[in-house]
Amino acid sequence: MNIKEKIKYYFVENSAFIFSTPAIMWQMLFLYMPLLIVVYMSLKINGSSCWYAVTLAHYKALLAYDYLKIITRSVCVAFGVAVLCLLCAYPVAYYLALRVPRRWKNFLLFLLTLPFWTNFLIQVYSWVFVLDHNGLINTLLLKIGLIKEPFHMVNTTWAIFLVMVHYYLPFMIMPLYSVLEKIQHDLLEASMDLGATHWQTFKNVTVPLSLSGIRTGLLLVFVPAFGEFVVPSIIGGGKHMFVGSLVTHYFLVARDEQLGAAFTIMSGCILIICALALNWVCTVVFQRRVREHS
Amino acid sequence: MRNAYGLPLFVIFLYGVLYIPIFVLIVFSFNENALTHAWQGFTVDWYYDLFSSVEVWDAVKNSLMVAFSSVILSLSLGSVFIFFCRKELVKKLLIFFYGSLGIPEIVLAVGLLSLFSFCSIPLGAATLIAGHTLLGLGYVIPILYSRFSELDVSLIEASYDLGATQRQTFFSIILPLLAPALVASGMLVFIISLDDFIISFFCAGASMQTLPLYIFAVIRTGASPMINALSTVMLLVSSLLVLIFSFLHIKKTRMLP
Repeated sequence: MNIKEKIKYYFVENSAFIFSTPAIMWQMLFLYMPLLIVVYMSLKINGSSCWYAVTLAHYKALLAYDYLKIITRSVCVAFGVAVLCLLCAYPVAYYLALRVPRRWKNFLLFLLTLPFWTNFLIQVYSWVFVLDHNGLINTLLLKIGLIKEPFHMVNTTWAIFLVMVHYYLPFMIMPLYSVLEKIQHDLLEASMDLGATHWQTFKNVTVPLSLSGIRTGLLLVFVPAFGEFVVPSIIGGGKHMFVGSLVTHYFLVARDEQLGAAFTIMSGCILIICALALNWVCTVVFQRRVREHS
Repeated sequence: MRNAYGLPLFVIFLYGVLYIPIFVLIVFSFNENALTHAWQGFTVDWYYDLFSSVEVWDAVKNSLMVAFSSVILSLSLGSVFIFFCRKELVKKLLIFFYGSLGIPEIVLAVGLLSLFSFCSIPLGAATLIAGHTLLGLGYVIPILYSRFSELDVSLIEASYDLGATQRQTFFSIILPLLAPALVASGMLVFIISLDDFIISFFCAGASMQTLPLYIFAVIRTGASPMINALSTVMLLVSSLLVLIFSFLHIKKTRMLP
């Protein structure tokens, strides 16, 4: 057996290993190793040449009122956005999945996914034209005569909130729709036949059956909304600090990588705790519902 | 129902909220007034500006290059992984790939930037492609896996029984069967890569300008209506792509018995 055959034989023998590792390696190299490096950087002593000299000083510096306020604000806004998205998305998903005539369904779904495929920055920027001093809303209200002075809407936390709800709405509608669509009509009809009103059927049958979608949607909105950086910087004009904007500031403007890494890790941990709590609440509600009705 | 019109009206209202900003954006791409958001008169000058701008087309070229590379990389890594890895193992390893979906993008970006500066790798196209492929794998592998596990195992066994090698089976049985999933996930990765801002913002460096980075820079420094014209063109292109895609999809499902 010459070398060439040996190599070929080796390849055929070990093909499973050789071909399945690159994807895992990629994930390790560019996802998990970077996270470890961030943790390491957050512990390293500034300017020390000794690689194993670690300190918790960066974390201690972050336990100040200002930083905690930014994190709390991000948590509150992300949570509010998730809940408001749920309230707005549920009727739409319900209507699309259970009520709408068949021939309209695909068209409405297409309309829903279209903004999803357009550039995120453009969607955010388009709100400036609506909310600005001489934007759409102010012009309309002035024309009607409801107000005399233009409203100040850009650069407020409310504007950031509104734009985030707008952007994340499809992320909520899609999982809700896919869950609601699988509900069998027989179940709803059975509930109605047994004398439940529309509202009771909705409350006791439809909502419990769609809880997994609610949970997925809440997490799909909450997690990215927590780290949001683009909306505060375009709509908020960079005046309102959120977790995402502070992280960006540390890494790209101030170049203080140690403090930035510590802040990233700290807010990441808080995010994980919040997401787990959200998940837990959904599970508890779900279990109580099931127990009540069995 | 008590209020039979309440629900449809709410849905129409929400669709309006979804579309009004985009609609206003398109209208203002024809506005003569460059400085404020007040209407002055109709013009198509901004479209002339757009099509004669060198910067925009450079950014488009860069974006397309990065998107194509990350699609090809993530599809080849993903399909090879799904086929060659043992099935039980894939199921266990799947959680590894969800990581890039569950972590906020900004944390991914910070991690990548730290990795590159830690190893003193210069930022540029390569680092950007690495980041986008990471994002893409998170979508490609679950989609391909769900399609692969639906495949009839006897087809693969038949191929082996008839004397095909592993490579022949992969190229002439598995790939054609996976084609719809490959196309769907490839398109998803393509659009995600084109649309991605945060990872590009951290990992592109100063020399590499992609389209979202260009748009962000212009918006930040005081936008010109050329951005509106650019947005309108991008909207048209992406809705055309979605239309073609859904048309292909409908055709395919109709062909099935």
